[in-house]
Amino acid sequence: VRCQLCPPARALQASATLRRVSDEHKKEPAASSSQHQFDSHPTDHQPEQEPRGPRPSYTGQGGQESEDYESEEQLQHRILTAALEFVPEHGWSAEAIAEGAKTLGLSAAAAGMFHNDGSELVLHFVSHCNTKLSEQLEQEQKLVQLGETEKKTTDQFLRDALEARLRMLIPYIEKWPQAISILLLPHNIPSSLSLLTSMIDDIWHYAGDRSTDFNWYTRRAVLTGIYNTTELVMIQDTSPDFEDTWRFLENRVADAVNMDSTAKQVKSTGEALVQGLMGAAVTVSTAARALRAE
Amino acid sequence: MAAAVCPCRALLGGRRRLLRAFTRGLAASKETHFGFQVVSEEEKGEKVYQVFENVAKKYDIMNDSMSLGMHRVWKDVLLHKMNPSPGTLLLDVAGGTGDIAFRFINYVRSVRERQLRQKLKHHQNLSWQEIADSYQEEAVKPLGDSQVVVCDINKEMLKVGRQKAQQLGYSEGLSWVVGNAEELPFGDEKFDVYTIAFGIRNVTHIDLALQEAYRVLKPGGRFLCLEFSQVNNPLLSRLYDLYSFQIIPVLGEIIAGDWKSYQYLVESIRRFPPQEEFKAMIEDAGFLKVDYQNLTSGIVAIHSGFKL
Repeated sequence: VRCQLCPPARALQASATLRRVSDEHKKEPAASSSQHQFDSHPTDHQPEQEPRGPRPSYTGQGGQESEDYESEEQLQHRILTAALEFVPEHGWSAEAIAEGAKTLGLSAAAAGMFHNDGSELVLHFVSHCNTKLSEQLEQEQKLVQLGETEKKTTDQFLRDALEARLRMLIPYIEKWPQAISILLLPHNIPSSLSLLTSMIDDIWHYAGDRSTDFNWYTRRAVLTGIYNTTELVMIQDTSPDFEDTWRFLENRVADAVNMDSTAKQVKSTGEALVQGLMGAAVTVSTAARALRAE
Repeated sequence: MAAAVCPCRALLGGRRRLLRAFTRGLAASKETHFGFQVVSEEEKGEKVYQVFENVAKKYDIMNDSMSLGMHRVWKDVLLHKMNPSPGTLLLDVAGGTGDIAFRFINYVRSVRERQLRQKLKHHQNLSWQEIADSYQEEAVKPLGDSQVVVCDINKEMLKVGRQKAQQLGYSEGLSWVVGNAEELPFGDEKFDVYTIAFGIRNVTHIDLALQEAYRVLKPGGRFLCLEFSQVNNPLLSRLYDLYSFQIIPVLGEIIAGDWKSYQYLVESIRRFPPQEEFKAMIEDAGFLKVDYQNLTSGIVAIHSGFKL
């Protein structure tokens, strides 16, 4: 019945091939977004894409062809990526997203697809950085496995990983305080927290942590603390190439590693002490019994 | 007596008559609804025109008294949702008295002022000449190239709108065009945002209006519709029905001297498809990321879609 209402062929196609998938929209009633699942690759990887079946009307959409062959999510990613270059000027906001949309040839009104406060832009950027970090760590691990580089000590590894991750913030460092405040907004906390924990988990994984006891939690908590404090130092650091920040990072990681070995020492000392006390107690009680017997 | 003698003959005759009327009905123009009445499609267009011709002068007062001023809040929410940036081209269809257009102009003006202030803040070492130039820019382009076109099928409504604009001092970036939502007098891909506030339920062929909206929007453009919809709360729904059918037509008679037009109004609200159905219609026209937001428990809903 619906098809009868839509004379243009493209609308017919759209409603015939749309797959309604439930969506993570924040608005009052959950909206169902329709996805074009045509190709998982972005269009620039396959210049001569074959359209599935005859689709003559798509050519008449003047520059929109690329959008129809990807899902809405992919288009949103592209807009957000394009918006990042406007962040130093406009901050993490809907204006930056509007400018990004304009560079892709879309109207600035397309920024209405996102939240007004720029949350999605920040989350997109953080997720992008985390992905880049994971890829970098994986490359390094491959090199170590192939024997081309030396395996680093734990503290050196952690320092390098965190430094690499924090260096990705440098182009946006002026507006980064705004980004941190956006990430701390109540409706963003679930997403930002999950991004943070998965990043820390990744780093420990590549550092070789295979613990299965309570250490797993303490290690991650400690590293999260180090990352957050270093980030805060970084945003107010004015030294050349953020030297102060890296020195701060070095000290914190050294403290953490020291604390780990100190903890072990304390444990063994404590055990030795307890054993000594037990021995002394036995000696005293035996002596007392001997005296009473006399 | 004759009818009693042969009842079966009368029955057959009756059925034949019904059949003839039925086929005649099919051959004639399609029927649609005008409130709770059934009328032909041509008639509906005319009748709607007459309704708005009659109410045009008292339209704003009636809006305030019927919705107890809530319609201002609803329209403000619509603008806030649109969040237009300077340079946006808005087409406001069925925008007769210009409420949305004026709000748009105010919004864009304040955003533009904020932008200019931010720009000044960033440039620490400005010469006096540069500062003077920026004030000049603010005076010359207060809207930053934004424009709004108000399109309505009814000349009386547009007349009232233009008078209001003159009174309130809106002159720049504003155009008034007579046009039919089912057949807009604009070229393809011209506008950034298309809005239709409390107008689409009066259109005879809603699907055509949606297709026209799709046509005139640029890629990435946004469709926004503010319209009365179905209330989802059963208690509120009863109160709302009571208010609509008992009080509004009376208000219409007292304030505007026109009971029938306001009877049509409340009936047309009941005839309009509910939120999900309208959302499906918008998707059929080709819009993506279609979504709706209920205001005041569903008395009013804002539907939004993008041309991607």
